[in-house]
Amino acid sequence: MLSGFNVILSTISFSIETEEAESLKQQVSFTTTTIPTALLFSGIPFEKACQLRVKGEGGLSAATAGTMVGLSLGEKHFIRGGIAQDLRTDGRKRLTYRPISVETGVIPQANGSARVRMGTTDVIASVKAELGKPDLLQSDKGRVIINVDCSPTAAPIFEGRGGEELSTELSVALQRCLLGSKSGTGAGINRSSLMVVEGKLCWDLYIDGLVVSSDGNLLDALGAAIKAALSNTGIPKVHVATAASADEQPEVDISDEEFLQFDTSGIPVIVTLTKVGRHYIVDATSEEESQMSSAISVSVNRNGHICGLTKRGGAGLDPSVILDMISVSKHVSEQLMNKLDSEISAAEADETES
Amino acid sequence: MEYVSPEGLRLDGRRPMEMRQIRAEIGAVSNADGSAVFEMGNTKVIAAVYGPREVQNRSQQINDQALVRCEYSMANFSTGDRMRKPKGDRRSTEISLVIRQTMEACILTHLMPRSQIDIFVQVLQADGGTRSACINAATLALADAGIPMRDIVTSCSAGFLNSTPLLDLNYVEDSAGGPDVTVGILTKLDKVTLLQMDSKLPMDIFENVMQLAIEGCKAIANYIREVMLENTKELEYRRGI
Amino acid sequence: MRELRDLQLPLNQTQKIRLRRALQQLQDLASKASSSASVTVADTIPVNHEDGVLKGHGTSELDGEVVATLCGVVERVNKLVYVRALRARYKPETGDIIVGRVTEVAQKRWRLEINFSQDAILMLSSMNLPDGIQRRRTAVDELNMRSIFEESDVICAEVRGFQHDGSLHLQARSQKYGKLERGQLLTVPPYLVKRRKQHFHHVEKFAVDLILGCNGFIWVGEHVEARDNMVEDQDNKSEQQNSKLNTRSLRLEEQESTYTPVETRQSICRIANAVRVLSSLGFSLNVEVIMGTVEQSISLNLDIHEMLGAEFCVQIAEREVERRSSLTKKRR
Repeated sequence: MLSGFNVILSTISFSIETEEAESLKQQVSFTTTTIPTALLFSGIPFEKACQLRVKGEGGLSAATAGTMVGLSLGEKHFIRGGIAQDLRTDGRKRLTYRPISVETGVIPQANGSARVRMGTTDVIASVKAELGKPDLLQSDKGRVIINVDCSPTAAPIFEGRGGEELSTELSVALQRCLLGSKSGTGAGINRSSLMVVEGKLCWDLYIDGLVVSSDGNLLDALGAAIKAALSNTGIPKVHVATAASADEQPEVDISDEEFLQFDTSGIPVIVTLTKVGRHYIVDATSEEESQMSSAISVSVNRNGHICGLTKRGGAGLDPSVILDMISVSKHVSEQLMNKLDSEISAAEADETES
Repeated sequence: MEYVSPEGLRLDGRRPMEMRQIRAEIGAVSNADGSAVFEMGNTKVIAAVYGPREVQNRSQQINDQALVRCEYSMANFSTGDRMRKPKGDRRSTEISLVIRQTMEACILTHLMPRSQIDIFVQVLQADGGTRSACINAATLALADAGIPMRDIVTSCSAGFLNSTPLLDLNYVEDSAGGPDVTVGILTKLDKVTLLQMDSKLPMDIFENVMQLAIEGCKAIANYIREVMLENTKELEYRRGI
Repeated sequence: MRELRDLQLPLNQTQKIRLRRALQQLQDLASKASSSASVTVADTIPVNHEDGVLKGHGTSELDGEVVATLCGVVERVNKLVYVRALRARYKPETGDIIVGRVTEVAQKRWRLEINFSQDAILMLSSMNLPDGIQRRRTAVDELNMRSIFEESDVICAEVRGFQHDGSLHLQARSQKYGKLERGQLLTVPPYLVKRRKQHFHHVEKFAVDLILGCNGFIWVGEHVEARDNMVEDQDNKSEQQNSKLNTRSLRLEEQESTYTPVETRQSICRIANAVRVLSSLGFSLNVEVIMGTVEQSISLNLDIHEMLGAEFCVQIAEREVERRSSLTKKRR
């Protein structure tokens, strides 16, 4: 499924060999699904394809500034050495995650909620469903709005408006990874299931993330929390009064007892690979993040399809390196997906017991 | 609408003088110097204390006292309808100020000159009485951080609906339009540090309602004291000799 | 018993039971050993008023009674009564060995962050100059302060004392103090590090330096011989300057050649993880306990990363129970 991709990237890499690596300082960001958009690319003339590069995003600073740890040169050297020797400061290998613990149902007032802890990073995600009117252009789909907030309890820097930049960056990255393009194709979350009455009534899902404690790798933790919250979500069943004319709002009866479990099999997990020196690591702590030259966050779903991609960091990356990182992240995502699924089901079992 | 049934039960099944179930947990945020989670019924609040540490803004430094700062923020998902702006709106600013003044009165600031104490309160779920829950959580967090205090500050709210004084209003009862009295006391010294009321109330009934709220505060103080004592004992025996 | 300050580790049922039992045994041992009086804020401290008691830290007077202002344990020394707080910021005492991080290079001094309510000050005059000569610090020395310590550097120093204006001063005149490189810095609550005679530990078996700062900053790093600055000539100096980690100008290959060797790094990570496990369980830290934990992890053939897992954590708790019970038996 990456074949259409490879054609384009090989042509791009051809042009890059003739340029200085420095000019690649711009950021590359593009959303893909499987074949349809790849074919779309192949139709574009080569010059236009190169212009796809020029879609800038916020740089390295936003993601790490909030939790920037001042490190001495000696410590930085030690961290880099550890990553090069496959032995990080807490003994992990490069592709090992910290212990992940998941709790569901932490916010009883919401339709679904979850709290995910990866080491010291602690995030809460909640899902609220409200009835609303669908977009005119996408009348058969519901709406999903993702928003992230950084609580000042995580770090004093997030006080007042200090955490705004980081919150915006995380919200946009999550939207890109989980919601697909503007036309609605290729979304990780199936929005058609949110429709109630076509053209008139649909569910608006408000997904809110809150960072309670921050120690690096916020995007992965938020992605996992959203996945867990969605599997915990119950959308109330709606009975629509059948005798409704075309222009009136139909009467609805929202059931308090019956709930539909949201289908989460298609929701991707987000894997962030941080490049330090020559090697990539997964699940970086905030100390390691301050050392990164660039990072790629890839969201991969159960079928191994890529649902979204973001590159952060000011350093340029050779396209072959990007491809390598994507394949590594696909491999890591399988383990992460399995781990998350088992944790989520354990958490839901705990919740029903208590 | 009937908030107190003829049998004397409220909407959630409580008696008029009955408080909601409280639960406290110390040490929720590992990065902070002190932190606590406080729940009153469905209201859930996290407080984190950073300090005493060096003043970040040199111009605000006070030479003989510690500078106490506080910020109150509500999560987007905390209320029934989603909030647009989690912080910076007037209610949040006012509550931040209230918490700061209450805690500043009980912290012995002269013992830590030229330093700064930050109290951050985050509301996870709001179901009435958020102000009180925040103050209780802040007290626990400050004790966890080892900051010397004059006394334990606790807070509770009470109201008056259907001619009955009610203790610890939840959101539905709070939005009924009746009076809402929030009281904060220094338990050992038996002094009132915070007193706020909305709406109208005759003077003699006010005294009853305020007394009821003070009783609620004392009950919370007993619980908080137990939690702190158990926490201290546990830390001590774990540390060993 | 509620899981206060839970370990953020996914424990299964048996592990939870074992941990609870171990903690219960620790509690029994502690209550047998000494009856320590724990108090919370605004508790009255029972005092014999006729003796003329001295009120120390953490206490205040209210209506003729001595009242605690902190949550902690009451200590009595002769006529002095004070409350020792547990989870609080570091309380400096003269002569303490501390590890700090430079936050600012100011006029003739460095400001260090040491987990105290203010930043500590290290004067240029309290620091040995690189050429070792004892002389007056000139303006040139002041301009070259950054060549000695920069922002974010990790430094080991000793507490000199409080000045009359209330600021804390440090000194780093001996060979064993100075910049710490090639290792990692860990933060634990200061109450877990007790004041002992020795805070510098050179673990010969692993060629690792372990410095237990009284302020809760713990340094684990490669062993560095304390250089004698007096015996320096020009050749040595240029060699040392080359080998300094001036990584900005070094290329990637040159950097790689200066990385810590793998075996030493493994030892460093093991010791660091041992400190992390012990501090998350709340056990007090000293060299014997830390090295015992490291030995146990090696004998169990655990991956370094698994030391932070649930199983090892429970085993360490059980081991601590045995250690403390054997200590109390020895005392009797």
